Amino acid sequence: MARIGVDVGGTNTDLVLEANHGVFFHKVVSTPQDQSEGVLKGLEELCEIGGISPSDVDLIVHGTTVATNITIEHDGADVGMITTRNYRDILHIGRHKRPHNFSLHFEVPWQNRVLVKRRNRVPVTERILPPDGRVEVPLHESEVMEAIARFKKRGIASVIIGFMFSFLNDAHEKRAKAIVEREMHDAFVCTSSEVVNVIREFERFSTAAMNAFIGPKTTVYLTRLQRRLAENGFRANLRVIQSNGGISTVETCSKRAVSMLMSGPAGGVIGGRSEGQLVGSDNLITVDIGGTSADISTIPDGRIKIMNPRDSYVSGHPILIPMIDLVTIGAGGGSIAYIDSAGGFHVGPRSAGADPGPACYGRGGTEPTVTDAQVVLGRLDADKLLGGDLPIDPGLARRAIETKIAGPLGLSLTDAALGIIKVINSNMALAIRSNSVARGVDPREFSLVPFGGAGPLHGVALAQAVSAKDIIVPVAPGITAAMGLLETDMQYEHARSLVTSLTRIDGEAARRFDALVNDLVAECRSDLENDGVPSERQKFLRFAECRYHGQGFELRADIPDGDVTTDNVKNIIASFHQQHRLDYGYAFDDGEVELITVRVIGLENVTPLKVARLEEANGVGIDAALLYDRETTFDDGRTLETPRYDRGELRAGHNVPGPAVIIQHNSTVVVPPDYQADVTEYGNLHIRGPN
Amino acid sequence: MPDQELDPITLQVISGALDTIAEEMGHILFRMSFSSIIRESQDLGAGLFDTEFNTLCESESTPLHIGSIPGYLEGIAETLQGGVWNDGDAVIHNHPYHGASHSPDIAIVIPIFYKGEHVGFAANTAHHLDIGAATPGLIIDIPDVYAEGMLFAGTKLYEKGQRNDALWEYIGRNSRAANELQADLEAQIASARLGVRRFGELLDRYGKDTVLTATRQLMDYTERVLRQRIAAIPDGEYHAEGFLDDDGKNRGVRLPIKVCVRVKGDGIEIDLTGSADQVETGFNVPFEGSTKVACFCAIRSLLLDAETSEIKVPSNQGSFRPINVFAPKGSIYNPEFPAAAEARFAQINRVIDLIYKALAPVLPDDIIAGSSASLSFVAYSGVRPGGDYWVFLEVNEGSYGGRPRSDGPDSIDNLMANTRNNPLEDLAVHLPMICDRYELRDDVMPGAGRYRGGIGCVKEQRMLTDGFITHENERHEDVPWGIFGGHEGATGRVELFNIGNPSERREMPAKFSGMRLQAGDVHVFYGPCGGGYGDPLDRPPAEVLEDVLDDFCTLEHARQAYGVIIDPASETVNEPETEALRRDMRTSPGAAEAALASAVASGAQPLEPTPGPAPAPVETPKPLPAASLSPAPPRAEPDLSQIVRRLHETFGSAWSFEILSHERNGGGVTVVGEVKANGSRARETGRTNGGNGLSVGQQFEAAADDSLRRCAAALLEATERSQDLRTA
Repeated sequence: MARIGVDVGGTNTDLVLEANHGVFFHKVVSTPQDQSEGVLKGLEELCEIGGISPSDVDLIVHGTTVATNITIEHDGADVGMITTRNYRDILHIGRHKRPHNFSLHFEVPWQNRVLVKRRNRVPVTERILPPDGRVEVPLHESEVMEAIARFKKRGIASVIIGFMFSFLNDAHEKRAKAIVEREMHDAFVCTSSEVVNVIREFERFSTAAMNAFIGPKTTVYLTRLQRRLAENGFRANLRVIQSNGGISTVETCSKRAVSMLMSGPAGGVIGGRSEGQLVGSDNLITVDIGGTSADISTIPDGRIKIMNPRDSYVSGHPILIPMIDLVTIGAGGGSIAYIDSAGGFHVGPRSAGADPGPACYGRGGTEPTVTDAQVVLGRLDADKLLGGDLPIDPGLARRAIETKIAGPLGLSLTDAALGIIKVINSNMALAIRSNSVARGVDPREFSLVPFGGAGPLHGVALAQAVSAKDIIVPVAPGITAAMGLLETDMQYEHARSLVTSLTRIDGEAARRFDALVNDLVAECRSDLENDGVPSERQKFLRFAECRYHGQGFELRADIPDGDVTTDNVKNIIASFHQQHRLDYGYAFDDGEVELITVRVIGLENVTPLKVARLEEANGVGIDAALLYDRETTFDDGRTLETPRYDRGELRAGHNVPGPAVIIQHNSTVVVPPDYQADVTEYGNLHIRGPN
Repeated sequence: MPDQELDPITLQVISGALDTIAEEMGHILFRMSFSSIIRESQDLGAGLFDTEFNTLCESESTPLHIGSIPGYLEGIAETLQGGVWNDGDAVIHNHPYHGASHSPDIAIVIPIFYKGEHVGFAANTAHHLDIGAATPGLIIDIPDVYAEGMLFAGTKLYEKGQRNDALWEYIGRNSRAANELQADLEAQIASARLGVRRFGELLDRYGKDTVLTATRQLMDYTERVLRQRIAAIPDGEYHAEGFLDDDGKNRGVRLPIKVCVRVKGDGIEIDLTGSADQVETGFNVPFEGSTKVACFCAIRSLLLDAETSEIKVPSNQGSFRPINVFAPKGSIYNPEFPAAAEARFAQINRVIDLIYKALAPVLPDDIIAGSSASLSFVAYSGVRPGGDYWVFLEVNEGSYGGRPRSDGPDSIDNLMANTRNNPLEDLAVHLPMICDRYELRDDVMPGAGRYRGGIGCVKEQRMLTDGFITHENERHEDVPWGIFGGHEGATGRVELFNIGNPSERREMPAKFSGMRLQAGDVHVFYGPCGGGYGDPLDRPPAEVLEDVLDDFCTLEHARQAYGVIIDPASETVNEPETEALRRDMRTSPGAAEAALASAVASGAQPLEPTPGPAPAPVETPKPLPAASLSPAPPRAEPDLSQIVRRLHETFGSAWSFEILSHERNGGGVTVVGEVKANGSRARETGRTNGGNGLSVGQQFEAAADDSLRRCAAALLEATERSQDLRTA
């Protein structure tokens, strides 16, 4: 059994191989023009490193930014839309709210970066009406034919059907789709209700439009990758990670490309969770800090949270696809520190990126960054960055901070550098708060898991700022996201809206509710069976998305096992009240609870990554790992002669007292005075403070 | 408070913390609330305030709430029950003559006590569905403020932690939407309590003195940033006017709006003197809570544009300080008790629109052309079979005027308004109403321009049962203005008809109150379209083609307004015919002069009345924003707006520029123009050498600019010489 996780990032493609004889890591440069090149190169090299042949690999799990990049570059397909007459501009008007309160020169993403041009949104005569989805006006099929003629003339090969109230009755959407498929053989076609079968026309249409916008290109990419793998001797199943953290097949991803949109950070959250669980902690805050941004996610009880669909936007377009609940802020090693014309001091979100990069890289950057501050404070050793592969010039870092910050503010160089770190940490700590405290989670019961290249430099300070109980540094912080790919489950979701009162539910409504749950479970089961998942490994999670009657936002409540009856609906109501209390600190116990959408998730439990145990210290002291001592300045302002340890030489059971700096190839861990780091049996660093 | 200034690092850390508290307060309020006006439209505001009522931080929700709460706090100070704040109190307040924005915007204010000392307030405001006014939801044609419904002034809903149950029950019996009202008030209380808790934690963490010093410095910082931006505007008085259709009762009686923007140094005064007297309906504007707030919003959007500013300035009292607002007592913008003053949105949105018009000559690259600048606010209601009321408040969107670098956005909340519309499917599942049509208008075209105005929407809402409607709306008569050669936009419209007899349509006035509707009645709203920015003949034909393909523009309009001939079959521009037509339009008498002269001179027109009282010396010009009357051609020559300013400084409004002739020759164009002032004149030829990728229109404009520049230089030099002679 051999499995590979391959995660494509903007700069690097990270790979993890789990084989019977061990776990192997690799990193290659990403190939943005065609990501599959870098992926293939990395896979071949990793097989060599692991000493296996490509044909030995059983499973490849892939994290890719292909879909996301299409939205960033806005270079997806020309999409045609067939929609209900009199509602041509649902996608153009959106929710009619501006992106900023105070701006005259703002951009409107759904008007300036459209998914379907207005000329290609063709209204046809048809009408379905609430509350029961009855057909008021039949579909005029001749008008569908006219729309198709227009699409053909314009060379359009990607089409969506979006009709009003299709979540109540999808007959017209299905019929129109059949006609389009009959007339346009190779076109990418989807209906709004098959992409996301829920109430709210703009969000449903937008999700379908995004699917059709990115679908053709992502399909081409995945198909090409699959073909190249086969051509090069790989016989493994290729799986792709989804925005919700589950994995799926190439076929499914091609149909529902929109599910891959936020897959980028998903691997990191899952990888961070596994690392925390290795140390026995289930309450985790993962912080993935890269060059320009930080992704933060809160995981209570080991359960990865899904973002409220109301907050799920991609490039300014609402996308009603379950995605992992995380916040991204513009804070990273490349974040620039500057003083504005009125004397205000800022760090980020502007970033020096990879080019020119921080001043100390010597590539022409003159503005001081967070990395420069770390260098000035003696936390990053010039000769040790990327194992010495990236030579840096501390003089340039000092000069940038001296001239741009310390001089103008009348501070010492050290105080200026400390100030930069303080502000960036404060920004990140506030983001952690907004993803935890603000949602009813108490960080004092949580462990902070810092990773990404820059994460372990900030981990302790962030834990301190949010009062997290301790810090768990992953085995390979630079590659945690790729490891996460091997830690997740095959996952399918199906959802459908059913608007009914739960408080006043009668037998008939309960039967409809129950039938819907069964339908959705059957759909998930069939997906899993198509993937060859045996029934004993299938698992189903069932949720009722509810709100108090009159509210506008739903929260997820659990549906108890067994049939839904008027009797056990009470448990759903209780679960909803509890969720409301957790999220808002308040519940209306006698409020009427209304069901809006039923959701079922079908899972295959995947075997977790087997991380090898680290060799035991067995009486060997940490001095074997000692590199040298150098001066390092800590957040409390003290500058101390601080030992450097080579993480590769540390053994399970070692205890590294602070102050210490622990160096590995692509990451540096700072252990401040009064803290200590225990090396766990799997090689994680478990850092704890004096209390 | 220690006098010692805090370092910018600590300041930034506390600034971020305050910002987060305000956001969290706003978040919990709109996520918990029941009525769609709060949860979807986010018609709310929340923040922290010091004991002197300064805003320390405020949530990013709806602009009209931002900056209104200090007025409430002043009003509560005048009326506070028992006269003393106690720990555990929560005050409910909405009195428009005691600082409230308008009566439906109810504030909940909780004092913050830290170690026994009163250190500030956590407060929020939210727009409530129904407070028991004369008609359901909204009101216009009412006699006085008492018809607005329940009025609270400094009333303690909680006293030392104990709820006043009598008051609570009273509230529950005096609203047509009592359940929503009470639940939303509970959400407000939860939000304010959260603010109290979070502020306490902040003081625990950094120490009271440090935090309070930081708040003071942060206000100074915000003020400093805004003053820097104001100082860059040339001193002067800038005027603009418009009018409102009527007061909702006295049909045909237009209400003038006069805006004077006085820029002096690093401060701005907005003076509304000359605007209409207060009216006899509820169409008046509370001064403290609404008139002032609108002016703050106008200046902040213009000078601290969130999209283009690199830094995010903390949202606090400092952003209000450089702005002084004046409206005479007894005017529509500062009514006297007991005039009703509930329906006030359109009036203040027009003030913002006219502030931009006034500043056009000096900030041509920052202002935008005339927007819809009103608000359509509809209250639909009815009685359910069980006898309960349902009330639905809908905000209909407007559109923006063309902008210096981009078209005006279509069908979107405008200027001061920034709400979310309700999903049509969600509404239809919950209310006895159905929307029959919602898309862009196609009965009119938006203002043509180098950058066109935005297109308004059309929305048809049909009642499925009998009910009531009140529509607070404007802009059926005063057309959104174009600028720098851009054409004017289009006014709004409202129709009523019954689905059983669709051919019999009634054109309605913009405003009407408490009208009964029958099942099947359809209310049709057409939003105004924005004016254009710059000469439409300068819009590249390719962009006009795109608009035609997207049905934003008809073939006819493309030809008439833009001089662009399009072949619909091949979906291409007929370039030779277009070039010829555009040449004709520019050169035929009248048409060309209108196109060219207005592009140049309209920049000067609004300045007419008087130049700045203390003109800045020409030798040390203030750093001007890169000002040019046309966004297109890059010029190495001195900035045209500086020339215009110098002309004003020298001659006041007593100068004019006229284009005498213009022609194309070889690759370039020439324009002969003449500036007259004080009896002297200068006539100079301006030219371009063509090319540089400029359209013919842009070349003409550049040549006209060149001519004006040369004339002005000659005339100014002559005048200075003669002055020198006199002095000598």
